[in-house]
Amino acid sequence: MIKTIIIDDEPLAAGIVQEYLGSFPQFQVLEICHDGFQGLKAIQQHQPDLIFLDVQMPKITGFELLELLDEPPAVIFTTAFDQYALKAFDAKALDYLLKPFSQSRFQQAIDRFLVQFTQGSPKESDEEKEIQLLAEKSNRLVVRVKNDIKIIPVHEVSYFEAEDDYISIHTREGKFLKKMTMKHLEESLDPGKFARVHRSFMINLNEISGIEPYERDSYLVKLRMGEKLPVSKTGYARLRQVLGL
Amino acid sequence: MGKWIVPGAGIIWLLGCFFLLRNEDLEFEIAFTDAFFFALGFLGGVGILDRVFSLYSPKGRNLWLIFLLPVLLSGMLVLAHRYLLNWWFSEEDLYLELLNGTFFLRLAVLGLAEQFVALLALVVSKLERQEELSRREAQMLELSKEAELAQLRQQLQPHFLFNSLNSINALVIAQPQKAREMVLLLSDFLRGTIRKDVQKWEILEQELNYLKMYLDIERVRFGHRLSIDFLVEKEAETAKIPPLLIQPLVENAIKHGLYGVTGEVKIEVECQKEGNYLLIVVRNPFDPSYVCAEGTGFGLSSVERRLYLLFGRKDLLQTSNQNGIFEVRLKIPQYL
Repeated sequence: MIKTIIIDDEPLAAGIVQEYLGSFPQFQVLEICHDGFQGLKAIQQHQPDLIFLDVQMPKITGFELLELLDEPPAVIFTTAFDQYALKAFDAKALDYLLKPFSQSRFQQAIDRFLVQFTQGSPKESDEEKEIQLLAEKSNRLVVRVKNDIKIIPVHEVSYFEAEDDYISIHTREGKFLKKMTMKHLEESLDPGKFARVHRSFMINLNEISGIEPYERDSYLVKLRMGEKLPVSKTGYARLRQVLGL
Repeated sequence: MGKWIVPGAGIIWLLGCFFLLRNEDLEFEIAFTDAFFFALGFLGGVGILDRVFSLYSPKGRNLWLIFLLPVLLSGMLVLAHRYLLNWWFSEEDLYLELLNGTFFLRLAVLGLAEQFVALLALVVSKLERQEELSRREAQMLELSKEAELAQLRQQLQPHFLFNSLNSINALVIAQPQKAREMVLLLSDFLRGTIRKDVQKWEILEQELNYLKMYLDIERVRFGHRLSIDFLVEKEAETAKIPPLLIQPLVENAIKHGLYGVTGEVKIEVECQKEGNYLLIVVRNPFDPSYVCAEGTGFGLSSVERRLYLLFGRKDLLQTSNQNGIFEVRLKIPQYL
């Protein structure tokens, strides 16, 4: 049995996937979810082999849901949006079905999944499988707090700090962890609002309360929340540029 | 007026006077000075009249100004000319006799000429105004066409269309009757969108029927999650409204309702007469902590822009946000 979950906020849209899937008896639909929150819970509970995922859904998008999963299952996106196609493949989606799609197109996607599933996912691509979404300017970050989802508007972030495979997001409400790289984060934030001042620090320009010299050739940036963060030489040049000093 | 007409007329005036005076056996210097100042007076008068009548064109009861103003002006000019030359050539008795003797002749000639110029200026300024008006009209037409296109693009949002088609695809086998209903709804809605004449105002009732079609489609898509309440005052039903103005607001409400909260979504549309205005209120549930992934308020800003184009006002659309309910208030003046 291949464990499957369908996540789509439109009941009929989820229905057609279920209907098409009816002609493949080896697939078992464990749950149909209508938003990302339900989706996350169902994925954690059932550990499915395959999910059908809509992109635009209440509260969080399909991509954001995917970002929250440590070991995402195989994903087939289903959406009416063309502009997301590129992004979906970057997110290592198995396939991408443009609504409305035909039974034969659906079959192709299933075949593609079966090939990967029966051969077993090649081990060496595990590293690659880590979800790296195409950088897109976003004004919010979605993080997982235990089994719940929290949406953080980027303007509420004071600074980001790199911690191994994770980024810690510092806000007035506390610290949140998200699995992503500094490079990806830097690409997704507005360079007019955030600056990378150090290899491991990216700060909100609105949160700067002062800059003071530290040792020779290096500086400290003071934030409104009270922290003092190191500024590298290139970071200082960048900071001067964006602040127009 | 062509650039060369006025100076040309001035030169002709100068030469004409000069030769007339030379005919009276006046010396060259005297004849030229007299003709020169008379021509200068003529040009000055023309300039003043042209300026005055391009700024203000008398109509109806003020029409007599067209006659009075040139006469008064030429009287002043001829008098000034007379005193100036009397002072200049105070020794030349023969000339002075001629000058003073031709006072009324000069007044009559100049008055007539200025009268003619005044009429000409009036006609020209009327024509120019007409041209300006038709140019503005063309611009307005262009703008409304643009608005229409933008509206169309918004209506035929590929997202909406494809998702509706997808719903139909899902219904075809399981509920063929419902699928047919949806096809008809979608067709009627699209036909309505294409046929709409953005210029022509609609009766509210019709506009609401159109809106209901849109909402029916959305309800098929989102099922039980979406419910809509219409509260329409009897008086308001016959009020008039520019087409496709409410729909973006409702679309906005649905979008924020459906994607901003996870539970059931109730949209309220309220229409009532308020003095000389038709007041339309659209409410949707709203999570203040929700941050939309994309930019928000595009629908609202396009409605705001259209209202500004239509009425030249920016206070007709107001939004508020209280107790988890987002409210948009749209006022349509009814005096037109």
